[in-house]
Amino acid sequence: MSAIAANPAPRRSRPWRAVVSGTGIVALIYVLLYALYAFWQPDALSVYTFTDLVNNSTPLALAAAGETLVVISRGFDLSVAGVVSLTNVLMAVYPLDGPGGALISLLMCCAIGALVGLINGILVAKLGLQTIAATLGTMIVCQGLALVILDAPGGMVADFVTYTLTDTLFGVVPIAGLFLVAAIVLWLAFRRTNTGIGLYAIGADEQSARFSGVAVSRVRIAAFVGAGILYGVAGFMLSAQTATGNPTAGTPFLMLTFAAVALGGTPLSGGRGSLVGSILGAGTLMLLQKVLFSGGVSSFYTGIFQGFVLVLAIVFGNAVARLLRKDEVR
Amino acid sequence: MSIDETGPALRIDRIAKSYGPTVALDSVSIDMRPGEVHALLGENGAGKSTLVKILSGVVKPDSGSMSILGASYTPHGIVDARTQGVATAFQELSLLPNLSIAENLLLPKMPKGMLGLHSHRTARASADRILKEYGLAHFDPTTPVGVLSLSDRQRLEIVRAFTHAAKLLILDEPTAALADVEWLFGLVRRQKSLRTAILYISHRLGEVRTLCSRATILRNGRSIGTVELSGASDANIFEMMVGRSARETTNALPAAGDAAPIALAVKGLSGGILSNVSFNVRQGEIVGIAALEGQGQRDLFRTLIGLTKVKGGSVEIDGVRAEIGSPGAALRTGNGLAFLPEDRKSEGILAGLTTASNMVLPIISRIARGGVVWPAGERRAARETAAVVDLQERYLHFKIDELSGGNQQKALLARVIMTGARTLLLFDPTRGVDVGTKQSIYEAIRKFAADGGSVLFYSSELPELVHLAHRCLVLYGGRIFAEYEAGAIDEQTIVGALIGHARGADVVVAA
Repeated sequence: MSAIAANPAPRRSRPWRAVVSGTGIVALIYVLLYALYAFWQPDALSVYTFTDLVNNSTPLALAAAGETLVVISRGFDLSVAGVVSLTNVLMAVYPLDGPGGALISLLMCCAIGALVGLINGILVAKLGLQTIAATLGTMIVCQGLALVILDAPGGMVADFVTYTLTDTLFGVVPIAGLFLVAAIVLWLAFRRTNTGIGLYAIGADEQSARFSGVAVSRVRIAAFVGAGILYGVAGFMLSAQTATGNPTAGTPFLMLTFAAVALGGTPLSGGRGSLVGSILGAGTLMLLQKVLFSGGVSSFYTGIFQGFVLVLAIVFGNAVARLLRKDEVR
Repeated sequence: MSIDETGPALRIDRIAKSYGPTVALDSVSIDMRPGEVHALLGENGAGKSTLVKILSGVVKPDSGSMSILGASYTPHGIVDARTQGVATAFQELSLLPNLSIAENLLLPKMPKGMLGLHSHRTARASADRILKEYGLAHFDPTTPVGVLSLSDRQRLEIVRAFTHAAKLLILDEPTAALADVEWLFGLVRRQKSLRTAILYISHRLGEVRTLCSRATILRNGRSIGTVELSGASDANIFEMMVGRSARETTNALPAAGDAAPIALAVKGLSGGILSNVSFNVRQGEIVGIAALEGQGQRDLFRTLIGLTKVKGGSVEIDGVRAEIGSPGAALRTGNGLAFLPEDRKSEGILAGLTTASNMVLPIISRIARGGVVWPAGERRAARETAAVVDLQERYLHFKIDELSGGNQQKALLARVIMTGARTLLLFDPTRGVDVGTKQSIYEAIRKFAADGGSVLFYSSELPELVHLAHRCLVLYGGRIFAEYEAGAIDEQTIVGALIGHARGADVVVAA
């Protein structure tokens, strides 16, 4: 009991930490899968194939990024499915052409996401609802609204949005990828704000966070609003991708976002994790589809493999975390 | 500084606070002088932690007033309290394990660098400066708090409070996990010379006498009085803590003879903070455990039932060496060991089910006919045991969460008895139940023992130990500190032992 007191706090070099963190593991999986993909599909390394892959992955990656904010604060946000459906339907029913129109559409999607997030945040932080219950409600409402606006798949997304956002910049850089880069840059900045640190604090222990002076309700609401905005952008990018509207477009996102978050090394118990990992996790899930397809595996098997990789990554991550802890708290 | 003679550093005037029908603080008044180290003493449940929460701005009082240096003090949050110069080192540490030492020290406002973002370098430098100032220069500010030992975390909690406390510093059990007490004493003396008033809460009277000049004693949510520690003997203080009228030594039961076979034999048991604990419980005997909060009683019960890992020692149930890995295994060893957990809501009741279903849970395989538990069979089985704990039959088909706390507790006691185990472990069996229910529960426990069963129970209420136990063991710092036979169990003796003073102990077990 007394011997520990004088023990100096251990130092550990940062790069090593990054490699064994969840983000490191999912990045490694991604590279390995991509190598396999290139082996089976020689044109995998072409700009065209890469752009296609990024375009496919971006909506899920943005949605997973949003979900990460809520998961780190120890919560679950189901409204992702509702927001994606609702924004997709609006993009198809009210297309606005030209760069100006695209900008207004983007802002509209963000605003809808922010509003839904704000409602979630108030329900949870002020009225004390459980996160699953509150967001289940808003998800169902949003899906209902989407059906009212468009009762069957149809509509047309503005051409400018469809063509520009799936294109490349200077023939090399996928435009959709820029949205991901923007999300990552904003995240890295947000992490270093008081609210960003508060996010990890309330995820670890709400009571202690409150005793440490963190404005718990405000941080929680901020997490939901930020998440909602990212879902809105995800819906926007999905519309660019599919060029049409579908009132149930968001439904597949529900499970896959959680899978991407977990695969990216963010434990669903909160307090830890990174948005970058979730983006890579989403990328991995989408890449896996391509790899299996190019390897000649029937698409019916995709789900089985996705689930398998997910569980494997988490088991591996936990094992590494345990080893590390043993090392540190000797 | 011109803060002199403007008034007391802190004046608390008839503060009261209730949670629903439960009165946590009835009327508490304290005056503290600038630069005074003032002790707050009282038993568990006397209201100390509620008072700490009110002073820290976490909880708002229902009535009464507070003032600091003559100015009214009504904090509306912990940050507000800090800006007014009041900070607390909480007993249940409030550090965040996933954040670094620097972040924990500087929350909720991190130093800003370029672009208005939090600067790791500046944060590190500020944290380094704070750590150095408080003699913790060997800590690396970038270390996540989760990897620190409990003792180091406690030091960090204390340092953080010191950095914010200009006028009033509250230390709530600061030495509970602290390895190096002198370090804290040095800091306290230094802060005292800066004319900060310090409210020092500790169960350890030796410490209190070393550091404090005066003490205020709380009992049942009231401040009983403030004494100069130099003029008050330990006995005076214990008496004020317990109250004169509480002296009762009525134990109607004859103690079980030494000849009775041993039901539960614990030898050198360690686990959690428990170290090297040995005792026996004989058949027909009721043994009480007395302890202040966090002295290892929780670990003792959880280790015996297999919920906390055993680090050393052995347990025998009815002469059978027990390898207890789960409550189920405990029940199957010897004549069985069953546990009534402390927290009814989260560890006891199954809220959606009827009272009868809750009670017969351990024996459903016995009452099932053809693999199905028929409602009639369930009720019949429940009815028999309901009578034992004096639970009215009409409650049996109610959903258990519709029952009052007292009746829930009766149902849970019935469940433990129904397991058929001959040794019961009861953790605070009458917590939060009314007087009438208490009597029924005592009756049930006595009857169980009279029929040859053995009971080991912990209670946070001393009168209960005095009433019920044939023998009382006092746990202190994870060890058995003293042991009293029925005749010698009285509240004041136990209170002394609880805080580490073995006055008049008949048997002091060397731990």
